[in-house]
Order: sequence, then C-alpha cells, then structure tokens
Amino acid sequence: MQDQLNAILAKAAAELPAVRARPEFEAAKARYVGPNGEFTSLMKQMGAVPKEQRPVVGRLVNEAKSRLQEHLDAALARIADAELAAQLGPVVDPTLPSPDAGPGTRHPLTLVREEMCRILRKAGFTVADGPEVESEYYCFDALNTPADHPARDEKDTFYFPAGARFGNVAKKTAGERYLLRTHTSSVQIRTMLKGAPPIRIVSPGRVYRRDTSDATHSANFHQLECLCVDRNVTVRDLKALLDYIFASLLGKDTKTRFRPHYFGYTEPSFEVDLAASHLPKVNKPWIEIGGCGMVDPAVFEAVGYDPDVWSGYAFGMGLERLAMLLYGIDDIRYFYQNDVRFLRQFA
Amino acid sequence: MKISLNWIRDYVQLTASVEEISRAITFLGFEVESVHTTGAPKLEHVVVGEILTRAKHPNADKLSVCTVDVGPAGGVKTIVCGAHNCDAGNRVFVALPGAVLPGDFRIKQSKIRGQASEGMMCSPDEIGLGGEHSGLLILANRPELGLPINTVLPPGDTVFDIEITPNRPDCQSHLGIARELAAWFRLPLAYPQEKFRGDVSGAPARTDLLAGVSVESPEDCPLYTAHVISGVKIGPSPAWLQDRLTAVGLRPINNVVDVGNYIMLETGQPLHAFDAKRLAGSRVVVRPAAEGEKITTLDGKERSLSAGMLVIADAAKPVVVAGIMGGVDSGVSADTTDLVLECAVFRRQSVRATSRRLGLASDSSYRYERGVDPHSALEAAWRAIDLILETAGGHVAGPVYRLGGDVPWQREIVVTHDFITDRLGFDIPAATMRAAFESLELTVTREEPTTHPARGPAWTVSVPSWRDDLDRPIDLVEEVLRLHGTEKIPPSLVLSPALVSDDDPVVLFNRRATDYLVGHDFHECVTYTLRSAKEVAAWSAVAAAHNVGLANPFVDDQSHLRPSLLGGLLESLRLNQSRGVVATRLCETGRVFIEENGHALECAAVAFVVAEPVGDRSWKPREGADFFTAKHHVKALARAAGVVLEEHGGASAQAGAGWQAGHCAAYGDIVRGWTAQAGLVNLALLKSLGIEGRVYAGCFAMLPEKLPAAAGARRFAEFSLFPAALRDLALVVDENVPAGDARARLFEVARAAAGDTFAVERVEVFDVYHGAGLPAGKKSLAFGLSFRSASRTLTDDEVNAAFQQAQDEIVRATGWQIRK
Repeated sequence: MQDQLNAILAKAAAELPAVRARPEFEAAKARYVGPNGEFTSLMKQMGAVPKEQRPVVGRLVNEAKSRLQEHLDAALARIADAELAAQLGPVVDPTLPSPDAGPGTRHPLTLVREEMCRILRKAGFTVADGPEVESEYYCFDALNTPADHPARDEKDTFYFPAGARFGNVAKKTAGERYLLRTHTSSVQIRTMLKGAPPIRIVSPGRVYRRDTSDATHSANFHQLECLCVDRNVTVRDLKALLDYIFASLLGKDTKTRFRPHYFGYTEPSFEVDLAASHLPKVNKPWIEIGGCGMVDPAVFEAVGYDPDVWSGYAFGMGLERLAMLLYGIDDIRYFYQNDVRFLRQFA
Repeated sequence: MKISLNWIRDYVQLTASVEEISRAITFLGFEVESVHTTGAPKLEHVVVGEILTRAKHPNADKLSVCTVDVGPAGGVKTIVCGAHNCDAGNRVFVALPGAVLPGDFRIKQSKIRGQASEGMMCSPDEIGLGGEHSGLLILANRPELGLPINTVLPPGDTVFDIEITPNRPDCQSHLGIARELAAWFRLPLAYPQEKFRGDVSGAPARTDLLAGVSVESPEDCPLYTAHVISGVKIGPSPAWLQDRLTAVGLRPINNVVDVGNYIMLETGQPLHAFDAKRLAGSRVVVRPAAEGEKITTLDGKERSLSAGMLVIADAAKPVVVAGIMGGVDSGVSADTTDLVLECAVFRRQSVRATSRRLGLASDSSYRYERGVDPHSALEAAWRAIDLILETAGGHVAGPVYRLGGDVPWQREIVVTHDFITDRLGFDIPAATMRAAFESLELTVTREEPTTHPARGPAWTVSVPSWRDDLDRPIDLVEEVLRLHGTEKIPPSLVLSPALVSDDDPVVLFNRRATDYLVGHDFHECVTYTLRSAKEVAAWSAVAAAHNVGLANPFVDDQSHLRPSLLGGLLESLRLNQSRGVVATRLCETGRVFIEENGHALECAAVAFVVAEPVGDRSWKPREGADFFTAKHHVKALARAAGVVLEEHGGASAQAGAGWQAGHCAAYGDIVRGWTAQAGLVNLALLKSLGIEGRVYAGCFAMLPEKLPAAAGARRFAEFSLFPAALRDLALVVDENVPAGDARARLFEVARAAAGDTFAVERVEVFDVYHGAGLPAGKKSLAFGLSFRSASRTLTDDEVNAAFQQAQDEIVRATGWQIRK
C-alpha cells in the first residue's frame, strides 16, 4: 500500500508542475482524485485492509492525500498567476508623455470676472445679467443721459435700423431704436425696475463702442459694475467697498483714491485710482481703474424709487483693463485671438 | 484745454509749487493729462560768463580746464568742463557754488580728477530748457558778463493740459480754472476790470458801418450783441499777447484776431470780428441757411449748407457758420479799418448738429456745444474792446446792438448741513461747508437753524450764472466734497445685511457649461460678437439676417451680430494653426442672436470645436473625435440648462449651411426655448477658412428667460432591488429607419406587453449590422431589453410571454422582421 501511495505521489510531483492550463489541470486532477482516479481507487481498497492495520494505513493514506492536495493547489496557484500575468502588457515607461490633450483652461477674462464676483459675493452682492442688445431708454434715457449727449452719437454707438426687431428685448417705447449697450449700467435699470430695494448686484458683461481697434481699444470689451441701493448709503460706504474690493484682489497694502469726475447717472461722481506695490509693468504710483459715484436722484426717479428714501452707489470698471494690469498684458487683442499659448498662461 | 500758469497768475496769486497746483487741479475734478514747462526756471547763482582760456585736463582725455570771467562781482573762475564746445571766447551760463539746478543738482566747489573746479558751465538741459545734452548753451547775443540768468532768458511758464468734464463749460477758460484754484487755495480772485462798459455817447453813431442787426432764429440764438469799432490798424499783436497764445498752442495771426482768441481763452466766450466794410448792406442777419447756400470758411474750404443750419449773414450771403467758423470774405485782413465785433450765444444743440453735419469743429464750436454763459457775454465783449483799442487803436462807435438775453439769471438751492452729512457719511463742520460754498462764489444768502436744535443749519445758496450744472441739493454735496478733498474720505468697513437673492440663471448656466468643458480639456475662448455678413450666412438658419445687421458698422467685416459662437471659434482655430500652435479643443460661452419668424432673439449660448491635432505627432495616437463625441458634449451642455436633448423626439439631420449634411444633427427649436446642433463642420467651409483637418463641433443656445433659476428641488426615486430579466432582439429594418425611431416603437410595444405587471426598464441598441445575410437596403438593429419588477423576482414564463407578445406586435405593427 505504502509503495503504491508513494508511486502516486512521485508521479504527481513529477507531472503537475508541468501543467500550464486550466483544462489540462482539470484532466490531471481527475486522473488522481476523480471518480476513477488512481488515488480514489486506492482509497476503495481500504476496505480490504485488516482491521488491526487500519489505523496505520489510514494515517498513511491521509498523509498522502494531503500531500497530493498540496501538489494540486500549487499547480492551480501557478496557473492562476499565469492567467493574471497574461492580462498585462509589457511594463510601462512612466517617463513617456500622455498622448491626451489638456488640461482645459479658463479664459483670463473669466478668471478675473469670477474673482471679482467672488469678492463681491462675500460682500452680499449677487450676479445680475441682461441683454447686450438694448433700447435707447435702458442704455441712456433712464440713466439721465440727455438726448443730445455725445455718447449717443452714431459715431460712437452701434445702432440697429429702425425696422429691426428683437423678440425678447423689450423696448420702453415703440419709437426708440435698438442699439448695442455701451455699458452694463442698463442691467442696473432693468434690475431696479424688476425688483425692489434693497438691492446689491454686480453685473459683468460685454459692451460695445464704435471705436478703432488697437492695443488698448476693442469694438467689444467687458465691464463689471456694482450697484447698491438701500437706506442711508453714503460716499463713505462707496469708498469702503472700493477699498475692500482692491484689498481683497491685490493685497492689504493696496490703496484706492477718489478723484471728482462727471457721469450723468451719478452725483457726486468719482474716478477711482489704485496704488498697489506688485503689479507688473506699472511705473506710476496711481493707476486709474474705474468710475463710481452715488446714484443720481434722476435715475431713482426714472425707475420709480423715492430718492428721499433710497440712496445708493454704483461702481464700474473694464475687465480687460483689470486683467491687463493684473497679468501685465500690454495688448487688448490677445484676449480675442485665443492663441493657446496665451490661454494656457493664466489657468 | 491748455492752461498757462502765468496767465492764471493774472487772476490769482498762486504761490504753490507746480506739483501742488497739478494736484489741486486733479482733486478739483479735472484730469491733468500733461504738464509742460517752457522758458527758464527761477535760478539763483547762475550768471553769464565768458571762457577766457581752455586747456586739456592733465589727468583726463575728455575734460578741459577753463578760466571763465563771470563779471566784476565774481571775477575769473577755474572750471573743469566735459563739453566739446567750451572754446575760449564763448559766452555761456555758469552755475556758481550755491546754485541748485533742476533735479536738485547742487553746485559746490569740487575737485575733478585732482583739478579744482569752481562751478559748472551749463547745457540747456542742465538749466531746465530741455533739448539734448550735447554741449554748452552758447549765448550768441553775448549778454553782459555777470548778468543773472533770469534777466537774460524770458521768464518761464508752465502749461497744464487739462481734460474738462462736459458738466463744466465754465472751466473752458483761464478765468474758470483760476476761480477753481482760488477756491482750493482759499485765495482771492481778481477779475479783469473793463474800461469800456457800453458807453458810446462820446462818438457819433456809424450807421454807415452797421445799419442793422436782426435775429430771425431767436431759439437758436438767444443773445446777439454787436459793437462797431472804427479806425483800427491791423498789425501783429504785442509780444505778451503772442507769448500767451503760443504757450497754449495757438498761432498768433493779427492783433484783432488774437484778441478774440485771447478773450475766448480768458472767459470762455467766443467772439467774432467782421470787417465792417465787407458786410453787404452793412447788415447782420442771424438766420437759418437756405438749402445749398455756399460759404468758403476760413480754412479755405467751400461748404454747402443745409436748410436750418444757423448762419450769420449780411444782406446778401452767409458770412459765418454761426458759432463755428467765419467766412474768408468778411474776415479781418491787413487793410481792415472798421470792425463789427460779434459776441453771441448760440443754442448748444444747433451748433453741435451743424458742426457734425459739416464735419467742421473749432475752439468756438467746442465751447458753444458745451454751453456758454449768456450772462457773462457782455463783459467779454467789453473786455475784448479794451484790448482791441489797446493793441489796434480805434474807438467804439454806436450803435450798440443787443438782441435777446432778456431773461435774468436767478437760481437758489436750499440745502441743510444734515443732508450733506447724510450723503457723505462723515462729518464736516458747518462753517467749513459754508466756506466751501463762498469760495466758489456760491453765495449763501440765508442761513437758518433747522427745526431740530441738535442739527446743523439750512442754507439758501445763490448759484452764479456760469454754474448751470448746479441745480439740486445733491449737486452741492459734490461741491463741498470737492473742496474738502476726496482724499480725505475716512476709511470704513463694508456693512452688508444679507439679501435673499441668487446669481442670474444665465450666469449660473455659463458657469456650469464652462466648468464642464474646461473639465473636459477645452480651452475657453472669447471672440468678437460682431461678424461679417458672409460668416453670419453660414451659421444662420434663415437666409436673410436683416434684424441682426448694424445700421452703422464701423468696419465691413464686423457688421452683424453673431448667430453662433462657432464662427469665432473656427477663426481662433485657424489662427492657432497658422501660428503652428496645436489647438484641438476650444469653447466659448456668450450671447448669440438667432433670427426666427421675422425677429431676432438674444440667447445665452455655449459652443465647442474638436479639431484633429494637425501637425502634432504622438507616440501613441488616440482614436479621433466623431459625431457621437459632439453629441455627447451637447447633451451634457443641454443638461446644464435643465434640458434633456432627445426627450421630445429625435434630431433633424439638417442643421444649416455651416454643417456637413448627413454628419450632423439639429435638436430643439428656439421658438420653444432652445436649440442645439452637433456634428461635423462643413468640409468645404473648413477648406475656405483655411483650416486643416476635420472639425467636429457642437452648440447649444437658449432664451435667457427659459433658463432655470437655481437647481430646484430634486426628489429621490425608489428603485427595485430585485434582479432584472434580460432579453435580446434584432430587428431587420430599412436602411433609412433611424435607430431612435425603432427603439421608441420597440419600447412602446414592450411596455404595452408588460402592462401593469412589471416594468420595461431599458431598451438600448447594442449592435448595428449591415451586409451579408441581409437583403439589400436593410440593416439589423440589435436591442437589449431589460424587464424588472419593483416587488419580486420575475419568472421566465411571464417574461417570455411578454417578450413574445412584444415581438409579435412589432412585426405586426411595422412589418419589420425579427432576425433569428
């Protein structure tokens, strides 16, 4: 018996390591421990073993069985490993570049706009939007711009022919012309007409001037304006907002100053200068950055707010100009060419 | 406007430095565009000297050692000099020890390379005269030795170029700016005193020179005055007058014309002088021009006038385009002896309209367009008469004409200390406010306590005629703040009670769309809104884009509003390709203008292009984009707008001229709120644009008013935890049957077959087969169906029964075959 067991084990030890595939393994396994396997048939002979020898023989058989199982397990593990290895290609060279394009980038004007909106949102402003095609009323009349004001000149503002129709841009009166808004202040008017004070909005958007395109001028460009309407809003509040905006954007050592100026829709009106230590390509102490002022009572009257109850301020600036200052860009046309080498620099 | 500091000093004794004055102008509200200093600055210890000898410096090749005679007081000095022209005999300016030259350059006794030097001989640059620094300033007229520089050179001047805001026509003059500076520095202002004040009784009336003046358009000419001056002698102006005009950029012409310009620059009131003998009929008529009337203006051009343009005419013809420019025929010339001096006020709008239509502007029209004070006009005329008599002789003769100007000026504003403080948000003492008013000649005619004793006074402020811009209490707030100084607004914190409100839906959509595309490796672009008519045609659904064309385009290729963002993106793609820059994925969000049913609709939009990486080789090429890439992104972008792309029916294969037919799809309808396209850009269009390789693109546009506000309430939907039963089915259909239609029909019959018992969860195409084994003109679409119950595991029998019923029904209803 022992000799027979040893012969089976020796055979298994010799044969099983050479088994490479799962079907071959299953066949080999059947030859040993299948219903007609050699080991199985040997087991069947146990009945013929004399009773007194059975403990000894039984121990021999059990030992042999576990030895055989070890051979089988080892073979199976080898096969499973080989199967996994077969799923892999050759090892990678991790220094090769990824062939996929990317990453994507946000446009610098978007970055600057979103940063300004983020700063203003912290101060309780929400972002408003309005049409770029406007009527004379919303762009000029409601903003206290007299009918003969030079800004309304066909030389400076783009108009549409009298018969042009814009289905979803409402005019105030049938006779007025459509135009391309020259500032985002029209959004202030629409917001005030639609809602009720208190109001705090920031309106970034595209505006149009009929002008020669060069390094600092563009037929369309982007503005960002803030409007605050509440009770007891003061010049000091306006200055506080400007100080807050530019300290947030450019650092706490940034200073702003107001210079008296004139705009039809604010009174008093100011131009805003800022002084920041670390702006690239800037070689003067104060840089003009925008205009602002206290909302003119005539504008409140145009939208039906009582100027004795409500006061407010407005601030506006050019986004291209801000981006040019922040990044040290010296030609506005870069923003509209979208050279990928330009776009990649800011994201 | 150019303002001369010397001139200003005629009216206000400014002692502040140029820097302080420049700052004052700035904070009074006028931008200083440039400051230009002419002539010599005031310098001490700089005198005329003569070089006696010149010798080479023993220790330096390029230096000379000179002896210089600086006059009896100074004697002879030894001076080391580096200039090439320090030759003996030259007279030059010598800066002696103690002199401080511009740039804080202090002259001392010194040793230069071991040689003592007792001063410095000066180049023009070193004494503030500008110019190049290439040698000494040689005084060719050989002034006396020892004379101080400021007695030799003409006095200097500083000219400020100032931008005057349109609300301040009164500051288009030296007097106006002087008034502002006097207020700022709290100095008295001395107005010029007229000698002639309208009295012509001393001379006989010369009706032969001026027989009559009539104003036929009093609306456009609210004031017209005319004075006769006879016996003048035309000649050059005196030097002081020429210097003044030259300093501010005007060319002196002759004494009478120069006086007119001088008074305009002094007072802001334009004037015009006629040669009285050249006025036909000795008459002046202010009237509208007749259509086609001609006048040759002083610039030498003949101009054809239109009806309604205001002119000054004589009995025969127009002689001046009113307020803008005179004609050559009636102007003052060398042999003029008698003048008619016009001093008038014309309506701003009238001057502006005529100036624009003729394309003719002047210093005069510039001032009339901004507004001239009719109540100061006569003083300006008197002042001009004084200067004409002084520089050209002659005397004033009657009659004096003064037509219009009858409405006296009176304006008062009542404002309280409280009102101003409330608007400012910080306190300025009442006395300071009142002083600010008074310094601007805003006379406080009454000061009364207000009802509340703790509060400040109420003032009644009388506004002078030249300050037509001040009309309301708020206007006075600005005056107080200007003179207080806007730099002194105290700092504060932003106080901001929270409001219930959110960003505009368009803003939210743009942000989501950009986030998506940038997250998928796109470069966000910004392109121009105004495009060429040709480009608009490629991307418009309707042929005639008549609503989106501008009435007054600035350049031809920017004449129309964009109907799509793709034109701009393709242009950017082309630019990158032409520069050899690999750009494969570009996107943009922005407004587009879509024509529909005879009107244009302004829409919020997003678009992208995916191009082949032309010129970029890769060690491991990736599979390129195709139609379904574009569709995938468009679907995601529509979702960012709350729209399910194919919810209400499928796509139309016709997307417009910009697209390649058969390789594109259009979705939605802008009339119902949104529209989208996806696919391959027309290959011929790409070729004509010069773009290499195929470009897949997609765009989505939506009416802003249809965009959803914030994300809105989402609600959880229960799903089944029991296993699904899966069945596959292949249908043989005509080639032209869209897979989407077949799927929809199959879904419908399967749902009917399942009834209320269980759900048909999914029906999806998993294979499309053409070719062998199928009849010609047919294709096979293989679908996987998934059935599931919410409450139990389905049995094979019930699923098989429903599946069979669905197969029978689809064959019966459509005539399609089941592929076994």
